Parts: sequence; structure tokens; C-alpha cells
Amino acid sequence: MRQAMTGQGASRGAVLGRARVRLPHALQVAEQHIAPDVADAELARLHRAIGAVRDELHALRARLHGALAQEVGEFLDLHTLMLDDPELLHGLDELVRDRHYSADYALRLQRDRLAAVFEAMDDPYFRSRVEDIDQVIGRVHAALHRRDCELQGFAGEILVAESVAPAEMAQLQAQGVIGLVTTSGSPLGHTAILARSLHMPLVVDCSGAMDHINDGDALIVDGGTGLVVVEPDADDLRAHREREEGHVREKRALARLRREPTCTRDGVDIRLFANAESQEDVAEAHSLGAAGIGLYRTEFLFLQRNALPDEDEQFRAYRDVVMGMSGRPVTIRTLDVGADKTDRTGLTLRDEQNPALGLRGVRLSLARRGLFETQLRALLRASAYGRIRLLVPMVTSAEEVRLVRAELDRVAAQLRAEGAVLGEEVPLGVMIEVPAAALALPAFINDVDFLSVGTNDLVQYLLAVDRNHEGLGRLYTPLHPAVIRVLRDTIRLAQRHGRPIAVCGEMAAAPDYAPLLLALGLTDFSLHPGTMLEVRQRIRDCDYAHLQSRLPALLRARDRDAIERWLASAA
Amino acid sequence: MIERDLTVSNRLGLHARATAKLVQTLSQYRSACTLMAKGREVNAKSIMGVMLLAAGQGTAVKLRVEGEDEQAACDAVQALFERRFDEDS
Repeated sequence: MRQAMTGQGASRGAVLGRARVRLPHALQVAEQHIAPDVADAELARLHRAIGAVRDELHALRARLHGALAQEVGEFLDLHTLMLDDPELLHGLDELVRDRHYSADYALRLQRDRLAAVFEAMDDPYFRSRVEDIDQVIGRVHAALHRRDCELQGFAGEILVAESVAPAEMAQLQAQGVIGLVTTSGSPLGHTAILARSLHMPLVVDCSGAMDHINDGDALIVDGGTGLVVVEPDADDLRAHREREEGHVREKRALARLRREPTCTRDGVDIRLFANAESQEDVAEAHSLGAAGIGLYRTEFLFLQRNALPDEDEQFRAYRDVVMGMSGRPVTIRTLDVGADKTDRTGLTLRDEQNPALGLRGVRLSLARRGLFETQLRALLRASAYGRIRLLVPMVTSAEEVRLVRAELDRVAAQLRAEGAVLGEEVPLGVMIEVPAAALALPAFINDVDFLSVGTNDLVQYLLAVDRNHEGLGRLYTPLHPAVIRVLRDTIRLAQRHGRPIAVCGEMAAAPDYAPLLLALGLTDFSLHPGTMLEVRQRIRDCDYAHLQSRLPALLRARDRDAIERWLASAA
Repeated sequence: MIERDLTVSNRLGLHARATAKLVQTLSQYRSACTLMAKGREVNAKSIMGVMLLAAGQGTAVKLRVEGEDEQAACDAVQALFERRFDEDS
């Protein structure tokens, strides 16, 4: 018999599956007193249970790995801290020892006390912390009765429960559970946050779920709208199927592409590297089959904080990136900030007349040697964990390349003298984003190991157009004969000298520009994971030899319109 | 005994992650620490206690530390507040 109910959508996605109802681990314990002379034994029993849960959480943490470990680990740490919380423990001790309540009832009282305070708060985030208290105390209660608190989920099923702990979520996904419905919780809770990052559809706060859903019922759950349909009828199923088909087609095509090589119709291999600035980007890049990280921005480690990151913090960040790519090369760009980016660390000069032409990129690194040395040390130490390449932004001259190379050699020697383990030679590359660097490339190409073209800045400097200037919108475009020519010459020179070259600006991330870059002879792209599959698809539709034969026509194009016409005919 | 006035300046306030950092920082010191805000006084070494303050961004809090390593503990907490609990945003 069909029933529909609504909760709050907390993680998008619609799924159809059989319900698996987990009966609540109720803390509805009646008031229980114990004899005063067994209070100590009762307290010991409670502390044993707390110890068991602590071990459980540690074991759970040890089982997680990769990006998930970081995500779930934080919540596990929080729950572990709660277990050791003096307020919680002290309250429990007092309830059992002085007031002679049973361990179960003490847990319930303490839970209610804390929950009452949290629930009375105005801030919805703080209110939703009751979830965490329930999960921690629920685990202790289960341990008191030696009941297994671990959830058992089954492939293809939708779990219906009072609440699900963030830590359980990772396991459920591994077991193949396809969606979740909970009676409590909030879209702001940790479980919801994690569900979204795991792409697990979730409806929370669906109060009728436990009463109206039975084990084995067919369910349609829409984590976007919060709609839960029990025993759906023909119309529900049709609507769901239509929605699904569109999704599935899309997903399937993209999922297939994840495992497909990036190679043109006529069999030329193209390498897609990822631009990344966080561990999430790295995990995404890895799962998309990126050839490596082509640009890891280190700015986020430095910006929006009051103190500079020390060597160890940087080392850990770089090491995580390298390990996250399991052997594929990772290109780490040294600090690329200037007065155009806000920072409170006193890193950059204030009030430059013209920040775009000011103390930024490699200029700042060379002006602040201590800062640069710290970053190089961290980078070199991380090179012991995988293949790291060093990329320097905003280079203009051969002299800058020489100074950076000398600094890199000096720091490497210093580390070796200290007995540090370094990886193999760290290749040194420069960004081509200042027109002078492109024009003077023959002067230093033999001193660098690879090149990366930063088209965002290159276009800005070549055309003398501020890319953030709203009134100049259409003037800022890579579709300009000067840009095409500089790209062609730079790519050709790099190839003649056997130096790998990639384009890492937005241009490489736009599927529509792929044919143009292939025509120019580019075989390495570096782009944000977000459009990687679309770009891959576009490249797979291209014929490399044919595009090469159309290069003369591209070079003859006199203006933007002509280049756009070329693109339209090449596609 | 040392008292110090601090301001919660990180965007998210003393939410779970920031509180966890504070409690973990203080767990390395032996001194007793309390936080006072909005007319409440809580044990700064208690994650529940600190979260119960529900101190959002801009809240003024008074830290009181008492014990053998009070100076170091106090400085550590102040540094954490000034680093905005290392929030990236």
C-alpha cells in the first residue's frame, strides 16, 4: 500500500531499493537504582564499556584510508574526544557513585542533560550537535550490553534508522548500501556533510519513517527533495525510471570515460594532468585517471591565516598529495601570491600601485629567501614519497632561473648533509606567463626541465587587458592571433629541445578549445578535475593529423571572428 | 593565575572542529583552565563544556588558567585563537 512522507533532503540523488530497517538502539531506559555497595562495580562496568568504544573508534580509524580517512577521521577524533570528556565522565561518575543510578540510566540522564542544552541553542549548527552526543552515548550503551553497534548493510538496500554516525557511513558505502533515511538528524549534521562528499543520497528528519516502513518494503528515496515513497505505484516507478535513465546514461558515459585513455581518433596519446589545491581535488584527479597533478597551488597554505605555515606543516601537505597520487608525478608550484591576493601574514607588500606587475611569484620568493628555503625544504623532503616536480611562477628572465636552480641545489645539499632522505632528482620547470619569458625562452630553455603555460596571465599581459576588469569583458580572450602565435612558438621550441610542455590555464579546461590546442601541437593539458571528462571526450572525437593539417589556416586567421570560424569548422 | 581576554575571530566560531583543537591543545598542559562567555563559565578542557558556550564569531571570551604551566598553556590558547583555529576559510 503506497505511502509518501517527507523529511529534509540532506544529500542529493534519487534511489530505488529495498528497505533495511535498523531498530533504534533506544536509550529509553526506565529509572533504575542500584544498591550502594555495588556502585563501584557498576562504575567499573561503565568505564570498561567506554574503554571498549574507544578501542572500537581507534580500530575503525585504522581501517580507513585515503581521502576518506581524512574526512571521517575528523569526526572519529571528535567522538573520541567526547568519550574522554571530563564533563561527561564526571557527570556519569556522580550519577552512579553518589546517586546510585544504574549505568544505563546514568547514560540516559547525562545524554538528556547535554541534549537539552544543545537543543536550546539558537544556532542550528550547535543544535545539530545532539546527533554526535547520541551517537557516542549510543555506542557506549551498546558496549555495556556487549551488543554489536556495527551496522550491517547490504548491497542495493536503503537503510532506515533513527540516526547514522559519520563513522558508520563509510562502512555502509563499502557494503553497497545505496541510500539512507533517518528519523533524526539535520542537513547541517556531520552525517549529512559526509553523505554529500560520498554522494550517498540521504533524507533526514523523516519522523514517520520507523513507524511506516518495514524491512523489505520497496522504497524510493529522493535526497534532493526529501521525499520518501513506500511501496511506490506504477506512476512513481515511471517517474523514477525516467529520472534515472537520464542520470544513468550520463553517469555511464562519464564513468566509462574514467577508465578510458585520452587519445585522439587517430591514436595519438594525450596526457591530462589535474590542477589541484586540496586533498579532495587530488582524490578526484586520481579517480578520474589523471596522468598526474600538473599544477598544485600552494597558496591556500599561506593565505587567510595569521601565521606562515612552518616546514613540517608544508611537508605533510605535499607528502599527502604525492602519496594520494600513488606514483604518478605531482607538479608543485611554489608560492604564487602578490599584493592582489589578501593575506594577513605580512607576506606581501601593501598598497602596490600595480599588483599585477609587482612583487609576486618568483620575485617574492627570491626577495624572501627564508620563506623560499622553507618551502623548498618541505618540497624536497616530500620527494622521498613519490615523484615531485617543482614549478616556479612568474619567471621573466634567465637570471631568475639560475637563482632558483642555485637555491634548489643548495637546499638539497643542506638536507643531505643533515641526513634527510630525498627522492630522485626533482625536475625544475617554469611557468610561461610573462610574454618576456616566452620571447626569451631560447636563453634558458636548456636550464629548465619542463614548461607550463599559464594562459590566464599570459593573455592578460600579452593583450594588456586586466582580466578582472568588468568593462573589458570581450577584449580578454585567448582567441587572438598574438596569443596563438606565442603558444605555437613556445610549444614548438619546447618540443625541439625535448622539454615536456603543458598548458595549465583555463584555456586547457574548456572543451571547445581542445581542437585548437591540439592543432598547435600540444599533447599535455593540465586542468581542474571538474571538466576533465568533457575535455577527454572532446579529444577522443578529434583527429590529430587532420587538425595539424589545418594549422596554417589557424595561423592565417586575422582576428577573433576568424579564429572562431576556424574552431567551428575544425570541431 | 592568569586571565586573558580573547575574541573568537574564526568564521565558524567555537564549533566542533575548533573546540576539538582547543581541547587537544590544552590536554598537553596540567593547569586548570576555564572559559567564560555570555555569563557562563565552563571547563576549557571539556569539549562538551566549550561547545555548550555556543560562542560564534565575534564573541568575547575570558580565559582563566591556573597551575604550574599556566603561562605556556595561556600562550598556546591565545596563539590558537589568533591563528583562527587554522581554518582555511
